[in-house]
Amino acid sequence: MRTAQLILASVALSALAGCASVYDWMRGHPDTAGLDAAAKPALEVKVHGGEFAQIQQFVTPGGVSVWLVSEPSIPILAVQMAWKGGSAADPAGLEGLAELVTYNMNEGAGDLDSLGFATAMEDLNMSFGCTASPEWTSCSVSSLTANAPQAMDLVATAFAAPRFDQGPFERFRREEEVGLKTRETNASYLASRATAQALFPGHPFARETSAESLAGLSTEKAREHMRTLMTKDRLIVTAVGAVTPEELAPLIDKVAAGLPETSTVSPVAPIDLSKASVTQTVVSLPQPQSLVRFIGPGIDRNHPDFFPAFVLNYTFGGGGFESRLMKTLRVEKGLTYGISTALDPNPSLLSWSGGGQTKNESAGEFIAGVKEEMTAFVASGVTEAELSDAKAYLVGSYPLGFDSNAKIAGQMMTVRQEDLGVDYFDRRNSLIEAVTLEDVNRVSKSYLDPARYSFIVVGEPQGMKAPAPAE
Amino acid sequence: MKRSLAAGLLALFASSAFAEEAAWAPSTFELSNGMDVVVLPDTRAPVVTHMVWYKVGSSDEAPGKSGIAHLFEHVMFKQTKNIGPEEFTSIVQRSGGQLNAFTSWDYTAYFERVEKSQLGKMMELEAERMVNLIINDDPKGPFISERDVVKEERRQRIDNNPGVILQEKVLSGIWKDHPYEITVIGKMEEVAALTPKDGLDFYKQYYSPENAILVVAGDVTPEEVRTLAEQHYGVIKPTGTASTERKWKPVAPIAETQLLTHSDPKVRQPNWSRYYLGYSQRRQPEQALALDVGLEVLGGGLTSRLYQSLVEKQQLAISANSYALTTLHDEGPAVLTASPAPGVSLETLETALMAEVEKVLAEGFTEAEVARARNKLAADAIYARDSQSGMANLFGGWLAIGGTAEQILAYPDDVRDVTPEEAIAAVRAVFGAGKNYIEAHLLPAEGDL
Repeated sequence: MRTAQLILASVALSALAGCASVYDWMRGHPDTAGLDAAAKPALEVKVHGGEFAQIQQFVTPGGVSVWLVSEPSIPILAVQMAWKGGSAADPAGLEGLAELVTYNMNEGAGDLDSLGFATAMEDLNMSFGCTASPEWTSCSVSSLTANAPQAMDLVATAFAAPRFDQGPFERFRREEEVGLKTRETNASYLASRATAQALFPGHPFARETSAESLAGLSTEKAREHMRTLMTKDRLIVTAVGAVTPEELAPLIDKVAAGLPETSTVSPVAPIDLSKASVTQTVVSLPQPQSLVRFIGPGIDRNHPDFFPAFVLNYTFGGGGFESRLMKTLRVEKGLTYGISTALDPNPSLLSWSGGGQTKNESAGEFIAGVKEEMTAFVASGVTEAELSDAKAYLVGSYPLGFDSNAKIAGQMMTVRQEDLGVDYFDRRNSLIEAVTLEDVNRVSKSYLDPARYSFIVVGEPQGMKAPAPAE
Repeated sequence: MKRSLAAGLLALFASSAFAEEAAWAPSTFELSNGMDVVVLPDTRAPVVTHMVWYKVGSSDEAPGKSGIAHLFEHVMFKQTKNIGPEEFTSIVQRSGGQLNAFTSWDYTAYFERVEKSQLGKMMELEAERMVNLIINDDPKGPFISERDVVKEERRQRIDNNPGVILQEKVLSGIWKDHPYEITVIGKMEEVAALTPKDGLDFYKQYYSPENAILVVAGDVTPEEVRTLAEQHYGVIKPTGTASTERKWKPVAPIAETQLLTHSDPKVRQPNWSRYYLGYSQRRQPEQALALDVGLEVLGGGLTSRLYQSLVEKQQLAISANSYALTTLHDEGPAVLTASPAPGVSLETLETALMAEVEKVLAEGFTEAEVARARNKLAADAIYARDSQSGMANLFGGWLAIGGTAEQILAYPDDVRDVTPEEAIAAVRAVFGAGKNYIEAHLLPAEGDL
């Protein structure tokens, strides 16, 4: 059936492997992608030989920038693709459009309808799917190395000739209709919505799908919007697997060939949480526990306070049982199964936030406990021992983030999306080592004041009232 | 929604392995005190996953003491003769390590993931708490606050979630009068009554080298592991107190078909399920494998019979799946489950879904769809190798219930040998006419629809 054709379509691959001469032919010959592969000179591959990953950077003949880690020990290939611009770029009133686009990417292409496409993926033992986050559209492909050419051919069809059939579109709407109902009792969702409505109402990050926005969507709009979200010029690719740059480049070029050259996606206006007024909000939800979230202003990666804050976060709530919040609220008081905090360095919404769950009866005590700990950070910072423990963990555990192909592909994608530089993995530990007690305590004082934090509670917290429902 | 296929039950560890790659092989050996050792080489990063599995789980608990296996697992992080209160975690994390533990019906496992030079230190720590644990018996002390933590854990995992509350009831029905009957975390009122002495008794009976398995995965050779393991674990004397006879027994057929419902104001989308009694890979290896293949065809993914019929063609459901929990020592449930499309009643959904099941039972599977399912399960075994900790879990979990490393390695070949006839026979034997089942309806609160 279909598989046989796909296999025949991609035999010329090994011809590339023998090329050895290295010269920057690509820039001089940007239009040679369609020529016979064997006639081409080799790719220019820049190798970054770091401690954690040997990253091969190259631009494909078709002009796509790729970072690859060749890992021969398991016969699999993972490819991640991303484009800046996501659901926050949905036109007003058409919330859900980016999600509809990404939902459709594996729902049929060319001659294959939804079932045909899914069957082809199963025949190849591959997976391919796309997602939209507020600011990024992403796709990932996993394949056995032996099937990689056919797998990437199938993905190429999805980009070049997506069908956007009515059947999957109607199914998407049915699923979304159910989603609109179930989200109303999802504690995490309710906390995020309350946060957005309190701190950045009207911002694209506060918009959400609704029955009205779903009614406005159509397959035509999705087809058109796909060409806005996924273009050649904004495509970034990372890959890890049992392939060489010479083997991978033509596969990536086939995939990208069907994409438009460029498009315009309006950037998201950054939110400044330090200018939002602090709130304590209760959302009523009938369950035995209250979910407590707290959020305050964060710090840009390029700000000198960032790495001190990153190190401080370990002692605050990022270090599991080594964090003060966990030691006090879980170990000493038995109030929660877990509490944690995190810094989000996204320039569009810099935040320092945390959360945990406790029985409704102890929600007040839980919040008071968090505020007490924060006040202690402001008053006296951390100890020399705490700082050295934090650094020892953050530096010592870093290799654990590089022990699988999937993790390395994800780490490289983050570095590319946040523009941290190919040497970031190798610089990161020294940035942590350089943090001093003085730095940490300065940051403690200026950022961890509970008065700068909003608290959002979802549940039936004892002694706290929810405002009357809006509808 | 369509992409979240089999529920959490299954996600545990679908078995897997890699016969076609001669280069990759685990090593297994035994220390003189009876502790088993498995080494899984993976040289991609200078990292190791170190695990100690104890052959004790919630199914070993005494009547009225439900939850002790799990609460005790928490207590193992508290204090030992040579490690001060709460210092265990501090030492591991100061060494750049990540650590945790988990408890199942069949086993309890502790792990540390570290840069490889720290492996010896991790063994020293695990060996220390194998023999020198101190349980503080202050009635207001750390044992009691840890009990409160577990109660919060139960609320968070189970009591906040209507679907999980219902599943807990159903599983108790499937495993009635079997050691799996009570959920692993235990009944709230029994957990609340557990004492430090219960913890100490449990420790003395079950925690010993001959009742444990060491699994090390990562950038280390079997020789290095043997040297370190003999130094740290080999010197521990076996206690001989852990019963070699587990309480495992075949799960009795479901006595009568019943309907369990749970309604809750948090439920905004109803769900329909039927739980039958399936197979276990330990007790019925051939049938369990055939059942896994058959349920992949019936309701495993987007190309499956149930999805194509209920979600795509008839548009009565937004999801429809079948799966089985075959990785426990004793038999687990085999499940049909679906969530209705807007406006469709559970009754309509049930009629249509069971009609599709009946049709499949009558007509059987095609060679092509069974071949696809077999290949998927075999390929999953290759993809699984990407996760070092996943591999450690796979081998540890299987060996802890008495399986062998060879069986895991044979899995891809075994799964490729399953014929359409075997697959449909297993599905018929589990779901066929006359088989009792527990049907579960998850419903919104009265008046909320």
